[in-house]
Amino acid sequence: MDFLKSLTIAASGLRAQSGRMRVISENIANADSTAQRPGASPYRRKIPTFRSEVDRALEANTIAMGKVRQDPSDFRTKYEPGHPAADQNGYVKYPNVNSLVEMTDMREAQRSYEANLNVIGATRRMIQRTIDMLRA
Amino acid sequence: MPISDIPLFSMLRTRMQWHQERQKVLAENVANADTPNFRTRDLKPLDFGSQVQSAGVQSASQAGGPVRLAATDPAHITGAAGSSTFATAGNSKYDVKPAGNAVNLEDEMMKVASNQMDYQAAISLYSRSMGLFRTALGKR
Repeated sequence: MDFLKSLTIAASGLRAQSGRMRVISENIANADSTAQRPGASPYRRKIPTFRSEVDRALEANTIAMGKVRQDPSDFRTKYEPGHPAADQNGYVKYPNVNSLVEMTDMREAQRSYEANLNVIGATRRMIQRTIDMLRA
Repeated sequence: MPISDIPLFSMLRTRMQWHQERQKVLAENVANADTPNFRTRDLKPLDFGSQVQSAGVQSASQAGGPVRLAATDPAHITGAAGSSTFATAGNSKYDVKPAGNAVNLEDEMMKVASNQMDYQAAISLYSRSMGLFRTALGKR
């Protein structure tokens, strides 16, 4: 039945977006995680990726989380000579997380999640109408 | 003669199948709203003329099976695009995100809503037509 396939496809979207949300929350939570030792690297921002895969049972393109990549951009540095993780020049490396970018990403994930929920709701109503037909 | 072979019912059934199939394609579009290089797909609208003709001429024969790629070896994959009973139309939208994704969520939501409404219309027509038979049978 195609309606159940629609539900499964939308559910795969929900799963992928919530996985994305997990990575984003990890980034936000670690926005200020410096290194433990002087000179070492702090937390590196993670980037969620998506890939479309052909589900042979469904005969459709479902979506799944791909590999979580690391952001190779430079760390933020701050001059804090008293910090335990400061190098010999007094600079501390902070993670390359920009909370503004993460917030925007989070909104986008939320929006896509809601869109998938909307599809599930519409499909459920269509199934309900089909069942109601038997009662008429 | 089974009820499903009556032209009106077979047309409505094709219509409902079309909406089911379209819901699946739309769900795919929405789920892949953030996939790089994904382009939206949609079903071609049903053609009223050809439906009437096929309902009149060959109402007894069912709609032919899905159009598939030929698989000459059991290891061949038939592919997702060929699974549809109805023709899919690629959508050439001009707003493509930098990642190559061309899904417009608002557009898709509109399509899902209209698909649902049209499906409900078909369902209502189906039950009304059933009501005609009930009247003919004298069951009020």
